Amino acid sequence: MAITRLFVANRGEIALRIVKAAKGLGIETVVGVSEADIGSAAARLADRAVVLGPGPAAKSYLDPRLVVHAAKASGCDALHPGYGFLSERAILPRLCAEHGIAFVGPEPDMIDALGDKLRARAMAKAAGVPLVPGSDEIKSAAEARREGDRIGYPVLLKASAGGGGRGMVIAHDGDEVEAGFAKASAEALAAFNDGTLFMERFVPQARHVEVQLMGDGTGNVVHFGERDCSVQRRYQKLVEEAPCLAMPDKVRKELHAAAVALASSVKYRNAGTAEFLYDVAREEVYFIEVNARIQVEHPVTEMVTGFDLVQEQLRIAGGSKLSVKQSDIVLSGHAIECRINAEDVQRGFVPVPGKITRWEAPQGEGIRLDTHISEGAEIPPFYDSMIGKLIVHGKDRAEAVARLTAALDHFIVEGVPTTISLHRAIVRHPDFIANTFHTRWLEQVLLADGAVISE
Amino acid sequence: MTNSRKISDVEQLIEEFQQSGMRELHVRADGFELYLSTNGDDAGLGVEQVVTTPAVVAPVAASAAPAAAPVSAPASAAPVAADVTIPDGSEIIRAPYLGTFYRSPKPGSPVYVDVGSEVTPETEMCLVEVMKLFTAVRAGVNGRVHQILATDGQMVQADQPLFVVVAA
Repeated sequence: MAITRLFVANRGEIALRIVKAAKGLGIETVVGVSEADIGSAAARLADRAVVLGPGPAAKSYLDPRLVVHAAKASGCDALHPGYGFLSERAILPRLCAEHGIAFVGPEPDMIDALGDKLRARAMAKAAGVPLVPGSDEIKSAAEARREGDRIGYPVLLKASAGGGGRGMVIAHDGDEVEAGFAKASAEALAAFNDGTLFMERFVPQARHVEVQLMGDGTGNVVHFGERDCSVQRRYQKLVEEAPCLAMPDKVRKELHAAAVALASSVKYRNAGTAEFLYDVAREEVYFIEVNARIQVEHPVTEMVTGFDLVQEQLRIAGGSKLSVKQSDIVLSGHAIECRINAEDVQRGFVPVPGKITRWEAPQGEGIRLDTHISEGAEIPPFYDSMIGKLIVHGKDRAEAVARLTAALDHFIVEGVPTTISLHRAIVRHPDFIANTFHTRWLEQVLLADGAVISE
Repeated sequence: MTNSRKISDVEQLIEEFQQSGMRELHVRADGFELYLSTNGDDAGLGVEQVVTTPAVVAPVAASAAPAAAPVSAPASAAPVAADVTIPDGSEIIRAPYLGTFYRSPKPGSPVYVDVGSEVTPETEMCLVEVMKLFTAVRAGVNGRVHQILATDGQMVQADQPLFVVVAA
């Protein structure tokens, strides 16, 4: 049955985005807020706001019992978890099911399975999705050379019990891998009391490419194309775009087919994203993981496809089949998103809470701003630092970059430092304009250049 | 409904819970429900209130000022102890920025330092977290912890004194 009243179990821009999407479908909304977010934009726009608890997320947004009881007590028949917080914790859909509330997302068992890296890899392998070429256990230096020759250099020797970079050695040829075996094994033994090693191909220049999927739980799955999220700092995405132009069409088609095969093989329900590493030199993609939620960067996909992904999520959670066929989904132009964070780029990206004293947002053709912020808004110290997403669309990448550059120049925020200054430097960099960057580019090139960022 | 669970089962469960290092345990079976938490003011323990107290579901009019929130939580911004004694030759260790003060690396694990702990410049004293960024605060001096000025989970201001360390 279609949803009549939706509980929004999130905050910030995504809570507002979900409220707007629900209103567009004639669904009533109740937003669960912490005491710090009572005056937030989502709480004001929703039909109702329910106070979950005090500011710290552990006592409000991160307490699944509290959230589901609030949804139940306010008469909601569905719950949207947004991203982050409880969105990929299986306990939330389990509690929803116990209380007869439809969860806007996959089944809890699916969330558990995808959250377990080994199980997710096994699922991908069974569906014929390419994984990073690797070995089983390696028992000797001679075997390390044989496997390295087979996989192709450079390779990464890794400790089975590993983590944190210990017991990891990069080898560029057969001699290095033989020499590296003893070193990595000794390190692994010292660090984990287990010297067992295995090997994976090392990708020195990778792009992060991900496919937006939507399934209705019966095996019907469509994709909405891919996104390139290679501008990252410490594995956090800062700029995302669609489509990924760094990839030949043939590889793109294989990527889409692999992602759809994976989701279809497990009868995936609702929105999900299959993440891949793209090896630029070899023109190969390798599966990383599936995120079982709507993602921060979904707007770039909406801008190039014209579909509202959050509304489609709500329709599927209400029991509908997919509203679109694959052939209905046609990509048009290019979209780029910048995450605007309340962080001090000059001081090591330290997040800065506070009051927004000036907020002049860019407007114009092809510009979309997803934000919960306006002048006078308070950024509480309890949650993440993202205060908005600036998205632009153009007929091609060059037009999108030009629009983004102009939009960033007209975006004035005062009261807290933001990453707008960094984005201005990124979009003007020759490597960004030429689309030749990779996942370590921001740290190794742009930020390594020193004081290129100024307010 | 047969009451198949004996008190001794519950006692055993509580004992195992305490030894497990888990923060919370919620058991529900055959009309029996048990919720255990290591945190006395855990939000989950107030669940009954949420269900039965209509005031919690506070409607917020789109135009009007937001309805007052029921404040059920203990004040998280506890005042700094008034009786701060600063012996000669002591150092004050301060918060690097506004954030939440944590005395242990994760909930339930032992504290980094206690009153009386010997510290070196590299000793980690606490974590301060703002917007998911955790910073370990180091002692910066050799000495002994004389006083701890903030409580676990408290919101602290930038440069707020956190520890008094008597230099060695």
